Amino acid sequence: MPLLELREITKAFPGVLANDRVSMKLDKGEIVALLGENGAGKSTLMNVVYGLLTADDGEILVDEKHVKIKSPRHAIDLGIGMVHQHFMLVEPLTVTENIVLGREPGRFGVIDFATARQRVREISDRYSLKVDPDAKIIDLSVGMQQRVEILKALYQGARVLILDEPTAVLTPQEVTELFRVVRSLVDEGLSAVFITHKLEEVIAIADRILVMRDGAVVGETTPSATDEIGLARMMVGRDVVLSVEKGVSQCGDVVLSVNDVHIEDDRSLEAVKGVSFAICGGEILAIAGVDGNGQRELVESIVGLRRPTRGTIELKGNDITRANARASIEAGVSHIPEDRQRRGLVLEFNIAENIILGDHREPPAADHGIMHPKAIAELARKRIADYDIRTPSERVLADSLSGGNQQKVVVAREIGRNPELLVAAQPTRGLDVGAIEFVHTQIIRERDSGKAVLLVTFELEEVLSLADRILVIYEGRIVKEFAVADADAETLGYFMTGGGGSKLAEEQESKPVESSVAGGDK
Amino acid sequence: MLGDIITPDLFASAFRMATPLALAAIGGTICERSGVVNIALEGIMLVGAFAGVAVTLAFGSPWLGVVAAVLAGVAIAAIHAFTSINLRSDQVVSGTAINILALGLTGFLMEIMYGHPGTTEAIITIKPVFRFATERGSGTFFGVIWNWFNTIVLSHTPIVYGAIIIAVVAQWAMYNTRWGLHLRALGEHPRAVDTVGVSVVRGRWIAVLMSGALAGLAGANLTLEQVGSFTENMTNGRGFIALAANIFGRWTPVGSYSASLLFGFFDALQIKLQIFRGEINIPPQFFLMMPYVLTVVVLAGVVGRAVGPAAVGKPYKKG
Ligand SMILES: Nc1ncnc2c1ncn2[C@@H]1O[C@H](COP(=O)(O)OP(=O)(O)OP(=O)(O)O)[C@@H](O)[C@H]1O
Ligand SMILES: [Mg+2]
Repeated sequence: MPLLELREITKAFPGVLANDRVSMKLDKGEIVALLGENGAGKSTLMNVVYGLLTADDGEILVDEKHVKIKSPRHAIDLGIGMVHQHFMLVEPLTVTENIVLGREPGRFGVIDFATARQRVREISDRYSLKVDPDAKIIDLSVGMQQRVEILKALYQGARVLILDEPTAVLTPQEVTELFRVVRSLVDEGLSAVFITHKLEEVIAIADRILVMRDGAVVGETTPSATDEIGLARMMVGRDVVLSVEKGVSQCGDVVLSVNDVHIEDDRSLEAVKGVSFAICGGEILAIAGVDGNGQRELVESIVGLRRPTRGTIELKGNDITRANARASIEAGVSHIPEDRQRRGLVLEFNIAENIILGDHREPPAADHGIMHPKAIAELARKRIADYDIRTPSERVLADSLSGGNQQKVVVAREIGRNPELLVAAQPTRGLDVGAIEFVHTQIIRERDSGKAVLLVTFELEEVLSLADRILVIYEGRIVKEFAVADADAETLGYFMTGGGGSKLAEEQESKPVESSVAGGDK
Repeated sequence: MLGDIITPDLFASAFRMATPLALAAIGGTICERSGVVNIALEGIMLVGAFAGVAVTLAFGSPWLGVVAAVLAGVAIAAIHAFTSINLRSDQVVSGTAINILALGLTGFLMEIMYGHPGTTEAIITIKPVFRFATERGSGTFFGVIWNWFNTIVLSHTPIVYGAIIIAVVAQWAMYNTRWGLHLRALGEHPRAVDTVGVSVVRGRWIAVLMSGALAGLAGANLTLEQVGSFTENMTNGRGFIALAANIFGRWTPVGSYSASLLFGFFDALQIKLQIFRGEINIPPQFFLMMPYVLTVVVLAGVVGRAVGPAAVGKPYKKG
């Protein structure tokens, strides 16, 4: 007996048919994976189920009864919970406040915080999802925040848990942990809809797989009946190269050189404790590390968003230690930020405007302070075509693009600028396999044209397939350097989690310069 | 001379001056916490002040006047709520329009109701709550203490005490009730509030109407407890100073009250010093300027680092 059934759900936005007569079933204790290209309509479908959007046509059945889900409140009452692609947490509030929001225990409008905290503890113990109930969201890592989102859905009494790209922002360890949690939830009798672009995850966790393309379901399969290559073909409609080919790096002159920088985080604690390295033209250097080990601060200081307290940063021999974001762009640094919505886009601007951000002072976008709308639109259309951004027009607001297409806008702008140095943080976050292949090819093309690339990512596969050289960062120090040929996921993981220990870090600190000069310089 | 300036009266006056600012500032706090900028506090206060006087003149009861002021404030705030929440228009534009409207409307109503611009007739004001003898056993140590206490704490009219109670209750409610939690979440991440099934539109409407009631009450305090008549544009920028007090108070009711008290103190001091301007020999405009200079200094310097609710001023659209 299906717990949830969708029949012929149709939803159109101006210029796009986001869901075209989509039907699906979800049984009790089942995990269905929803797979599909960026913009295929996965989030839209789930937002319809959660009552955030209303379908133009079609039926929803819960427990075999027809329902019209008009609001999230209604969905919650029916036992549907959702962890959104972009988190729905109120940052200055505490974990407990976020979890109980909308269903606070208490009487006469007064919240009984003791009970609230107690219930949060109970659920978090029961599913072993450890969190500090009194921590503020803003102080939590992304993985922790996601845990809070899951707890929120469980607190609301979810029987069906919708997870929209839950792993896009997680480190490999956190993904393993999430899988454990989802399995234990299913053992308890819950059902889950799992949206992801990572094919190996689909194979690992799903009972059934539904593939969408252009708003419609194009196929259904099970993990035992297919493999990653087969899934990719179903999804994109052609064969996809899952790992890109690349030649040997031709190391040229040093492009970026970072010398003994110390950087403080927002709480004025030292996050980067004396890091030195250099990247030469034609090289992709990856910084691998678990989130929160100083890579964010390091990236921000290279792109002009944060000032180091000590040390220098040079781009092609020019000191850019104190450059601001504008000077940094003008010096030839491009930056794909890890959080596209907060740092990469102005969501209220349209695609064309977002595509020229940062280059909006210069031709072809503008001359002498006057913008040229025609040239801007033309450039935007070219980028939309080149980067396969799925949208009806360049005048669509960034806010209404699908998550992956928002990411493509950022990538198109930053690579399209043709920089000397490309700093890419999680550049393929939320992209489908086809788009990842494309972005990887672009990054390698940048390298092959003699540009330097700094890649910061938790995706070990991405590190291993793109990088020429890998630095492992741990607690604000570079603890290990690898040529890509000598590295594998296991050793990287070992050093990333502090396996090398502080001993290595100290050794590193005593001789920071020699051990981290670019390979081509030696 | 210092002894003539630092008197119990100065501090009592600070509380009085602070009251309209504080009420409007708490209104601003509630409104901005919900995600709506309320630049219309000034105009709402003015309409409240007028409605209070008009009803008191008509029915002879200043208490009825207070009720009228609050209702008038709510009515004007409803315009702001409708334009900024339902129509999703720019909240600063809507607020500015209301301020201009309030100025014109009160002037116009004065003409048709009383046949002249300027100032209305005097009304019976609301009396202080307690009335104890001031100079009981003056000269003795306890007499002096009593005298200070009586003047500073026990000499006030009801709304002055009301403002303190409102500040404390609102502060408590903001951190201990459902309403407060929803309010704090609304201005930060309205979509998150929506996804847990709490109505953003409703929450914002309530907040804007509450700010209207408080600004209306501020107007009532001004005319029915302090001045005793209505004069065109008598709020004289208090609504804007209240907004500054809200920011200085970091978007909390008690903070807003405290900041208003500081502004009120400077206002009281300014008046006090004017009496001595013959001796100090500084032009009177200098003193009049002080509360405003303080506002600018506070906003530019001290509050430079204050961060308001993340989604304030942004209309919310479902889906
Ligand atoms: N609010 C909206 N207004 C207009 N168009 C929208 C809106 N939301 C989504 N769309 C469009 O609907 C289509 C489907 O979007 P959806 O977000 O469902 O994709 P998705 O499958 O979740 O993709 P991704 O993997 O990139 O997250 C896209 O073309 C998108 O541009
Ligand atoms: Mg999506």
